[in-house]
Amino acid sequence: MKEGSARKMRRVRGWYWRLGCVLLITVLMSGCPKKTPPPSEAGPSGGLGPGLGEGNIPPSEGDITKGRIGGQGEGGPLQDIHFAFDSFELSSEARDILRSNNDWLRGNLQAKVEVEGHCDERGTTEYNLALGAKRAKAARDYLVSLGTSPERLSTISYGE
Amino acid sequence: MFLGLTVLLSAPSLADAQIKIEVPEPGGAGIPIAISPLKNLGGENQRLGETFADVVARDLDLSGYFKVIDRGAYIEGPDSLSPEEINFQNWSVLGALALMKGGFSLDGDTLTVEVRLFDVAQRKQLGGKRYHGERKDLRRIAHRFADQIMLFITGELGPFNSQIAFVSNRAGGRAKEIYVTDLTGAEITQITRDRTLNLGPSWNPAGNVLTYFSYKQGGPYPHRLDLSSGRDSRLYPVVGYRSQWSPDGAELAVSLDQGGNSDLFLISPEGRLIQRLTEGSDIAISPTWSPDGREIAFCSNRSGNPQIYVINVNTGRSRRLTFKGDYNTSPAWSPKGDLIAYTTRTGGFHIMTISPTGGDPNEVTAGEDPSWSPDGRYLVVSQRRRLYVASKDGRSVKQLTGGGGDDTSPAWSSRLE
Repeated sequence: MKEGSARKMRRVRGWYWRLGCVLLITVLMSGCPKKTPPPSEAGPSGGLGPGLGEGNIPPSEGDITKGRIGGQGEGGPLQDIHFAFDSFELSSEARDILRSNNDWLRGNLQAKVEVEGHCDERGTTEYNLALGAKRAKAARDYLVSLGTSPERLSTISYGE
Repeated sequence: MFLGLTVLLSAPSLADAQIKIEVPEPGGAGIPIAISPLKNLGGENQRLGETFADVVARDLDLSGYFKVIDRGAYIEGPDSLSPEEINFQNWSVLGALALMKGGFSLDGDTLTVEVRLFDVAQRKQLGGKRYHGERKDLRRIAHRFADQIMLFITGELGPFNSQIAFVSNRAGGRAKEIYVTDLTGAEITQITRDRTLNLGPSWNPAGNVLTYFSYKQGGPYPHRLDLSSGRDSRLYPVVGYRSQWSPDGAELAVSLDQGGNSDLFLISPEGRLIQRLTEGSDIAISPTWSPDGREIAFCSNRSGNPQIYVINVNTGRSRRLTFKGDYNTSPAWSPKGDLIAYTTRTGGFHIMTISPTGGDPNEVTAGEDPSWSPDGRYLVVSQRRRLYVASKDGRSVKQLTGGGGDDTSPAWSSRLE
């Protein structure tokens, strides 16, 4: 199963090379001061995915806040969503954002998306990784419930 | 890294005298001890004698039991070795209650070290050891003798002939790699060079294999690295977050995550699935074995927030251990069996200990991700992204690493050969 996930991610990069149109959603929790996904996941242009997590607006503790524009940086078509501390429940605001992300996906059928789960320094390492996986899954499952094909979606957790 | 080292046990002439020094508690004023550089008995390289003393002094400081008297104050040089030659008055005026003296010789690459601990007031030898090895073994011999000094003074062998694996970004960039340090915090070796995220290191009981989780193939897949051969392989084709070897080394408990659902499994050291331990959609992570191998403590959010649980490996029955606080994670079962350490979040992270049978927890120090020393007297923890060694009651807390980068997720090995 996870073998498939790894293959899927490589395919995502393949799409990028051909179409220049791969999008990643970074699923963020409120209060994330800085996210640094690993260099090995860096897209070919360096502007893909891994750069996403940096420079998030730090909101107040426990609040569910609006994320900045995700996907391909400022002005990109996909937005991050945020979670309350120690939660992987989608807020109504997160659902709204995912619905608009889903609309974009519906209009861009060639795009594939990797959903990244992140947590912040207020959690411990391993719990953050497991929680990040649950957050990515929650976002993915909601997109699937809105009609996005599961084939177009993969998930990965980066923890802190 | 783990090459042969022969040790001759103390000869009759090195027979132990009765210990007159009162056994202290770590974190108190500390027993004043002088650690003399070793005398060069043959061959070149006087520096080895000072390096040996540096390592022993650092270990004893870390222990919290000792106050090492600064070398600059020593009146007597390294040359006088026997109780007849040593002028104990020169050491008692410095306030020293204990004194380490010894010599080394280097024949080609062959190193011989003979070292003794004296009770200064009694003018008697407390114990002595003779070691044979290679030149590169000098620091390990020093750690071994520091462990012996702990035995002479506290009645229990010290934990310093061991290593600590940890995760750090000190190589620069956004990568996190696995590193290993000795107990001085000065001999740090980079283990992985994948330029990706490498997380959750764990030692096998023999201390020659590391398991860890690497993103080099996409997600955090478990890997095992044989340190003697350098052979690295993926251990299991499912992502996960932490493994821990059983005390007998026959199996590993591991948290694996299938599509956002983490559970505990037992796998063989070769990566064969043995048994599934937990079910359900809640988080189950961070397994840690009881020393008898019958139970595993872990972290689960099945109550609605993360708490520590204990599962019986044979029956599969589990019980909740922690009830205080709403964020208790990263358990570590003491090799002595008497305590489970874990991280609690109460406006910052703190290390707590609790009896495996429950009851009130005790705070050790600030920090997260505790790992026990092989003697069960100390914890290495990550505190503000540096590693610290704390006595289990928290009275002694000493910094181990810092400055090179963010150091996290420490894992203390068992004693080396």
